[in-house]
Amino acid sequence: MAQSEHVNYSLEKLIGFVGDDPEAIKNMVNLFLNTTPSLLNAIIASFQEGSPEILAKSAHTLKPTLDVFGIRDTYDLIRNIEQKAKRSELDEAMDKQIKQLTHTLELVFQELKLDFNLP
Amino acid sequence: MDAFKIFIVEDDVFYGEMLRHYLALNPDNEVHLFKTGEECLKNLYRAPAMISLDYSLPDMSGLDVMRQIKKEHTDIPVVIVSGQEDISTAVALLREGAYDYFVKDDDVKERLWNVLKKIRENVQLRSEISYLKEEIGRKYEFRNVIKGNSPSIKQIFGLIEKSIKTNISVSITGETGTGKELVAKAIHYNSKRAKKPFVAINVSAVPRDLIESEMFGHEKGAFTGAVTRKIGKFEQASGGTIFLDEIGEMDMNMQAKLLRVIQERELTRVGGNELINIDVRLIVATNRNLADEVQKGNFREDLYYRLLGLPIELPPLRYRGNDIILLAKYFVDEFCKENKMKKLSITESAQQKLMGYHFPGNVRELRAIIELAAVLTDTDQIDESHISFNSADAAGNLLMEESSLAEYTRKIISYYLQKYNNNVLLVAKKLEIGKSTIYRMIKEKQI
Repeated sequence: MAQSEHVNYSLEKLIGFVGDDPEAIKNMVNLFLNTTPSLLNAIIASFQEGSPEILAKSAHTLKPTLDVFGIRDTYDLIRNIEQKAKRSELDEAMDKQIKQLTHTLELVFQELKLDFNLP
Repeated sequence: MDAFKIFIVEDDVFYGEMLRHYLALNPDNEVHLFKTGEECLKNLYRAPAMISLDYSLPDMSGLDVMRQIKKEHTDIPVVIVSGQEDISTAVALLREGAYDYFVKDDDVKERLWNVLKKIRENVQLRSEISYLKEEIGRKYEFRNVIKGNSPSIKQIFGLIEKSIKTNISVSITGETGTGKELVAKAIHYNSKRAKKPFVAINVSAVPRDLIESEMFGHEKGAFTGAVTRKIGKFEQASGGTIFLDEIGEMDMNMQAKLLRVIQERELTRVGGNELINIDVRLIVATNRNLADEVQKGNFREDLYYRLLGLPIELPPLRYRGNDIILLAKYFVDEFCKENKMKKLSITESAQQKLMGYHFPGNVRELRAIIELAAVLTDTDQIDESHISFNSADAAGNLLMEESSLAEYTRKIISYYLQKYNNNVLLVAKKLEIGKSTIYRMIKEKQI
């Protein structure tokens, strides 16, 4: 089961959506760990390939999921990435933002795996 | 109650699963998750009570999906749950008929929960209304409400059956208390218009100055006292049936206005300019002979032919033979049931007394007589002592009409022949006269 202190995400927020059901929470965490990396990869790949539409769409899809997990620091970041992609501004600043997003999410993945004893 | 079916259309696997889990926390909800608009549209036959729709889908936009849904299923509430934070998108979707629009933020779950509660209440109310409408329909299934086995009433059943198959206007005539409004309701609630309103208006009960406003409505300020707009009975009956009782009492000026409305199928509210299309079925009733009124110049001939449609002439109760007893037994059973009394029977002598009366107030009068008798009896039987006739138009009326003895004889024999379905032998026996006397009068066309 999850520990009481969560540095990179908010268990309380997740409970708010899913209810205080350990099994359901674990299932949702599992789902998050299975689906989010592919969205993140789509963001990275579309930036590298210069495809703002795919980039905007991927960021748009990822946005609410990050909110559900209450992942600090990503609220403005993912919105900025989506908006800039919509304006086709695939610049150096965005490269930094995507790297920052990747770093934060990697920390979240690690913490979740640890908290929920997942491989 | 059946499960409350919810469709979630969401391409984001995590968010869709999260919504599905959240909404399924209520065990009354049956939640189905679809990843594309196409999948959702293919499954509409499963009749969801609500659809939660993502705006950005891989195969089509949320707006296109919603338009497709609304094309065939206008009643299904579609709630847009989207990551789009653009207000103009939300406004456009609401204008197109979205029930609500939520952004996927922290409040989405509470908002979704509240909107679901509201939709559930609406669905429940709608199902209650639908149930009540069906109940009314069952209540007015005409063979349940119009009791009788006499040939004259069976003929009426045949006419009602014909009238419910089409939208033809129906004109019902009959003495007071013969059940004209009951027949009108039976026609409406057994017709294709049954789920739409049945609106009745008694023309003689509305003051002449107000009848036009009552029927066609009025605009604010149309006349002194018209402080707000009023929707008239014709508009209220939209898609349904309007029943104009005592149509023979309508004055000539109003007759002209009614004729125009019937012909043009549109009306203008008093004091207004807007033409309003109307779709109503017309049923009229009167206890006057409208053809005579036309002859006398009291009723417009053109309106008479417009209203005549399928004429149904309800027989007076006195001509319905054993229906009197059948109805009496039905009324006594109903009365006992409504008042939680033990079942009462009607003795042979009481039945004879009823059969000998001519019921100027018809079925309405019979009901009143039976209900009074049910109250008066102290046993489980109604006997002749409990049956009292108080009608001002009782049998004595025949004697009040000054006539010759031959005329009285002719009237009495005619009355008995109608009552006993032209059974000459029975009538001769009842009146203790020779059957040849009756045959002779028939031959000589005296009766």
